[in-house]
Amino acid sequence: MEKIPILKMGKYLLVTIQVDMHDRLAMSLQDDLTEKIVLYNARGVLIDISSLEIVDSFIGRMLSNIASMSRILDAETVVVGMRPAVAITMVELGLDMKGVKTALNVDMGMKMLDIFTGKNDEQEKLNDHSEE
Amino acid sequence: MSINILTLRIQYEQDIVFSRQRARQISELIGFDLREQTSIATAVSEITRNAFSYAGKSDVYFLFDDKSSPPMFIIKVSDHGPGIKDVDSILSGRYSSKTGLGMGIVGSRRLMDYFKIESAPGLGTTVILGKILPKERKLDLKEEAARISKELVKKNPQDLYEEMRQQNQELLRSLDEIKKRQEDLVSLNKELEETNRGVVALYAELDERAEHLKTINEIKTKFLSNMSHEFKTPLNSILALSNLLIQEADGKLNDEQEKQVKYIRKSTEDLYELVNDLLDIAKVEAGKLTVKPSSFSIEQLFSTLKVMFKPLIITQTVNLVFQEPKGLPNLYTDEIKVSQILRNLISNAIKFTENGEIRITSQYEDNTERIIFSVKDTGIGIEEKYKTIIFEEFAQIDSDLQRKAKGTGLGLPLSKRLAELLGGSLWVDSIYGKGSVFYLNIPIIYKGPGSGTLQESSIFSKGDRSSEAGKFSEHNILIIDDQEISRYILQGVLNDLFPDYSVIQAKDGKDGLEKTEVIRPEVIFLDLIMPGLNGFDVLEKLKGNSYTSNIPVYIVTSKDLSAKDKDRLGNGPAGIISKNILSSSNALETLRVLIRI
Repeated sequence: MEKIPILKMGKYLLVTIQVDMHDRLAMSLQDDLTEKIVLYNARGVLIDISSLEIVDSFIGRMLSNIASMSRILDAETVVVGMRPAVAITMVELGLDMKGVKTALNVDMGMKMLDIFTGKNDEQEKLNDHSEE
Repeated sequence: MSINILTLRIQYEQDIVFSRQRARQISELIGFDLREQTSIATAVSEITRNAFSYAGKSDVYFLFDDKSSPPMFIIKVSDHGPGIKDVDSILSGRYSSKTGLGMGIVGSRRLMDYFKIESAPGLGTTVILGKILPKERKLDLKEEAARISKELVKKNPQDLYEEMRQQNQELLRSLDEIKKRQEDLVSLNKELEETNRGVVALYAELDERAEHLKTINEIKTKFLSNMSHEFKTPLNSILALSNLLIQEADGKLNDEQEKQVKYIRKSTEDLYELVNDLLDIAKVEAGKLTVKPSSFSIEQLFSTLKVMFKPLIITQTVNLVFQEPKGLPNLYTDEIKVSQILRNLISNAIKFTENGEIRITSQYEDNTERIIFSVKDTGIGIEEKYKTIIFEEFAQIDSDLQRKAKGTGLGLPLSKRLAELLGGSLWVDSIYGKGSVFYLNIPIIYKGPGSGTLQESSIFSKGDRSSEAGKFSEHNILIIDDQEISRYILQGVLNDLFPDYSVIQAKDGKDGLEKTEVIRPEVIFLDLIMPGLNGFDVLEKLKGNSYTSNIPVYIVTSKDLSAKDKDRLGNGPAGIISKNILSSSNALETLRVLIRI
C-alpha cells in the first residue's frame, strides 16, 4: 500500500503531498499523521500541497480534519504552497476550510509555526522556573 | 451531434483520480487555461466520487457537443445506481454529505458553464457537465477529438497503475479462488470426518459380528463333536448287531434275510464313515486333531495307494497311473493324513472321470523343502465359479456324474483342513470339460506343534498292567453299562472269548458296585458315561475299597478321552477299550490280544 511520507523536522512534522491522492490514501494520511504527532510529541504540522493540481471537497475536508485533530493533540497545522488556480477553484466550489491556517510557502509556514508554538515554549519555560 | 473523445469506466477508487487527471489533460489539450483546467478537473472529481460512492460503477464520457451554441466540452457521468431521491434538495444546498463538505454537486454546478442532472429512484443517475470551448479554436471538432485521443494515448500515465491493478485483481481473484477451495476443503474434510465416524461405527459393528460368528462357529464345532459321539454309539451297536446276524451266531438266516442284513450293514458303514468325517472336521476346527509324524518314503505311500485303488477301477476306459518318484527324499510327517488326503483326491478323480487317465505325481521343491503331489484327471472338470465352493463343507456341484457318484461333500474340505494342519495347502486347477488337477503342497518335514498326545487310535492299553491282570481265578465277569445294547454286544463277544466264564450285567454304577460286593468278579468292564454314578466315580470307589481294589477294570467307552479324562483315570484302569472295536468284524482277535488270560 502506497503512503504519503511524513518527515520529522525538529519539533514539527513535514508532509509533502506529491501525488494526486485517491480518497483512501487521504484517509490513511489522516490516520498516520495523528499517530506520528503523538509518537514524536510534535508541536506543529506543515503540509505542502504545491504539487496538487486540484483540491476537491474530499481533500479539503481531509485537510480541515487534520487541522482539527492536530489542534486537539496540541499541534498547529499550516498548509503551504497552494496553487492560485486551486485557490480560485476552492472558492468557486464554496470550500471554506475552517481552522486551517495557510501560508504562501514552506518558509513562511515554518515562521508561522514558530510563532504559534513559541508562545507555548515560553509558557513552558515559565512553568519550569516556577518548579525550581 | 456529439463527438466522442474518451470513455472511462469508474470501477475502483483510484479511477476517480484517473478521471479527474484525464479531465485536466483533455481540457489542457483543448486549450482551456490553467484555472479552467482545475475547475473542470475538480468538478469531475466531485461528480465521479458521488457516482462511485452511491452506485459503485459508472461510465464517464468526454465529448464535444457541436450542436449547442456556442459549442461545448461535455463530461457525462452515468451510473445505474439507486438514483437520487430528491435532486432539488441537493441542488438547493439543503443536503449534508458525509464524505465531502456537502459541496459536491452544488459546487460543481458553480464551477461549470452547463450543469444538468437526471435521476430517479431505481433508474440511476446521469450528470452532464459542460464548459464552453475557448474561442481561439482552429480545427474542426472531429479532428480535434482525434488529435486529443492520440495525445492521450501518448501520455497514458495510467499504464503502470492499470497493470498493477490488473495484477492486483488477478491476485484478488486467486485469493477468492483459494478461499473457495479452502472452503471446499473444509466441507470435504467435514464430510470425510463424518464418513470416518461412520466407518469406525461400522467397524465396531463388524467386530461385534465377527465375535458373534466366532462364538457360533465354536458352538457348531462343539455340537458337531458331541453329536458325532452320540451318533457313533448307536451306529456301533447296529454294526455289531448286524455282524452278529451275518455270522449267524443266533441261528441261520435265509438268503433274503442275509441280503437285507448286509444292506443294513453297508448303509450303516456309509453312515459311520460320514460321522467319522464330520468328527474329523470338528476335531480339526477344535484343534484337537494332532499330527503324529513318522518317516516314510513316497514309494511306500504310492504302492499302498495303488493296492488300495486297483480294485476300484471297474471300467476299462480309465487308467490309474502312479508316476514313480525319482530320488525324492523321505518325508517326515503324518503318513496317515497324507494318505487320507491323497485317497480323497484319487477317489474324487475316479468318481468324476469316465474315460482317460488319472495320474498321480510328486515333485520336490529344493528351495522351499516342500513336496507337491498332484492328482490329474481327464474328468468333467470344475467350472470357475465352483472352484472355491468345492472346498466348503457339504458343497456339491450339480452334475450328472455327481448325481451318479455318492459322496458326503466332506472329502475336500476335510482334505484341505488336513493339508493345512500339516503346514501345507491344497488347491485346484481345472478346465471345465477337460479335467482337473488337484495339488497338495506340504513341507517334507513337519515342523508344527510337537507330536500329538491325544491318541487317535481307539485302543491303548497299559501293557504291563494288563498282563499283570492276568489270570482269572474265579469265573465271573461283570459288565457295568447303562446301555442295554452295549451290554448285549459285549456279552456276546466275551462269551465267545471266555466260554468258561459267566458274564453278569449291571445296569448302572450303583448296581455295579452292589454286584461287585456280592459276586467279586475277576474282571470288570466299565462304561464311563452313565447316569447317577458315572464310570469315573465307580472306578474311584472300586479302587478305594481294599476288597475290590485288585480287580482289573477295563474301561469300555465310545468317548474320545481328553487329557483331563486320562488324568482323572490315572493308573486305575487295566486298559481302555473303544466301543468302535466291538463293532468291527475282527473284534474277537483284538480283544483276545488286549485281555490276556
